[in-house]
Amino acid sequence: MNPIRDVWQSIFRRDPLSTDKGKSEFVFLNVWLHIHPAKVKKENLKVKHTFYLGFITFFLFLILVTTGVALMFYYRPHPPQAYQDMKDLQFVVYMGSFLRNMHRWSAHGMVICVFLHMCRVFYTGSYKRPRQFNWVIGVVLFLLTLALSFTGYLLPWDQLAFWAITVGTNIGSYAPLVGARIRELLLGGHTVGESALLRFYVLHVAVLPALVTLLTMVHFWRVRKDGGLSRPVWKLKQEKAPQLVTIGAPEATAVLTAVPASKDKTYGLMEVVTGKPIFETISVEEEEDTVFSYPFAFFREGIALLVTVATVMAVSIFWQAPLEELANPAKTPNPAKAPWYFLGLQELVSHSALLGGVVVPGLIVMALLAIPYIDPNPSRRPADRKWAIRAFTLFVVINVVLIVIGTLFRGPGWALVPPWVHIVGAE
Amino acid sequence: MKRRSFLNWGTAGLVALWSAIGVSMAAVVRFLTPSVFYEPPQDFKIGTPGDFSFGPPTFLSEEKIFVFRDREKGFAVANAVCTHLGCTVGYFQSDDQFHCPCHGSVFSADGKVLHGPAPRPLEWFEVTLARDGQLRVDKDHTVPATYRLMV
Repeated sequence: MNPIRDVWQSIFRRDPLSTDKGKSEFVFLNVWLHIHPAKVKKENLKVKHTFYLGFITFFLFLILVTTGVALMFYYRPHPPQAYQDMKDLQFVVYMGSFLRNMHRWSAHGMVICVFLHMCRVFYTGSYKRPRQFNWVIGVVLFLLTLALSFTGYLLPWDQLAFWAITVGTNIGSYAPLVGARIRELLLGGHTVGESALLRFYVLHVAVLPALVTLLTMVHFWRVRKDGGLSRPVWKLKQEKAPQLVTIGAPEATAVLTAVPASKDKTYGLMEVVTGKPIFETISVEEEEDTVFSYPFAFFREGIALLVTVATVMAVSIFWQAPLEELANPAKTPNPAKAPWYFLGLQELVSHSALLGGVVVPGLIVMALLAIPYIDPNPSRRPADRKWAIRAFTLFVVINVVLIVIGTLFRGPGWALVPPWVHIVGAE
Repeated sequence: MKRRSFLNWGTAGLVALWSAIGVSMAAVVRFLTPSVFYEPPQDFKIGTPGDFSFGPPTFLSEEKIFVFRDREKGFAVANAVCTHLGCTVGYFQSDDQFHCPCHGSVFSADGKVLHGPAPRPLEWFEVTLARDGQLRVDKDHTVPATYRLMV
């Protein structure tokens, strides 16, 4: 009779971790960890394969939820109290400015990391069969990340916030037929005012985080169901004629089907049902290539978490999140700039609002969503997909160049001004 | 239940279900559309003609309008909201033009687009004389740039 051991064993029903069974059960019997496989391929843990960008993005989201909830205790979504609360957070609330800095810098970091994660997945060809749909979910998560950033941008209710949202929602109103209506629904009015602030707040703290959480769960689950992480490209050998594996129940007279042998894990429905057998489990993994998730994968993920949190904290100690003067609808700052990740868009919009603000971004989003379905090349080897890589690189470079021009090279009146030139008398 | 009647009822049920979902979505959109806008009125008074001087236009920041008063031609009211993306344009006496700070649109003094991305000229609002002798601006009524109120 040992009550402590009884309590322990009622919570953790697994064998000791010194055994392989215990290591498997540590993952398998834990609701938070069982999204991992019990064993993972050694080469998939390599930093140079994924740079852990998906994990870092997820950890940044966790930081954002935590600091965001903390900030909510001191924030009223109504002008002008919203701005006063920002000042309180900055100067009065204990650790308020540190928490706000963490929230702001993690938000920027998340936009960057989602984008880099998308680049990694593209360059390793990991969106190809059978992972096409998970790419689509990923693109939607990228758009939701931008929506979260954009709605959060208004909440400080300073000049930066007010004019960025005025410009941003006016871009949307150029959409044919529905544009003006969508803007009215989003703002709850015709100008950025108190109802707009309340609506952006509800979207920012409830609707969008809930959507992101749900889709993140689907995204992770699909990673497992689509056969785990894709193999690193350096492991891919020259295409060989696929080795066919016959599947079907041993005593069935007719062979069900013959499918190409795959190094990916697939899963069968392990259930007693009537009808023909529905196994399609083919696992030809080499045993020596895999390691237990506990401790090898968890250790690396833990390091990624620590590095992410430590970096955000360090940045938040040394750099203050900007806060300008109270929003003033009568006075447009010069130049008025959207958030940096929309400055490429603003650069396009400064040439033509309809083309740059609606047509081009719409086409880009549709192209991103369609990539796995319009790329006919089955090979993931970089040597076999030179044009795909060139096209995507061009897209990334254009994006970065436009954002750099919008951020650093646009001065008063949106004139081209190099960042090292100071204009006397400019606001 | 016969197969045919099951399919008939099933189809009717599915149609009813999807109609209900459609109506509910319309109700959601209607719910999100405010029935009352707590916004500044579109129709307002800006003071007596004597409050405005001749020469460069007077900027009213609350209403976001420019009030022009010309000795020969009379009163005219221009919208200060840029037709491109809604920033507030500024009047510069040095070149007698409107400049938008956001994307660099430039308008002439009569509201025409000189350059920049603005798709339309600045709007002009109807200005009338109210019974109490005050100037009254109606933002719901746009007028040609040549519109003038002689007082």
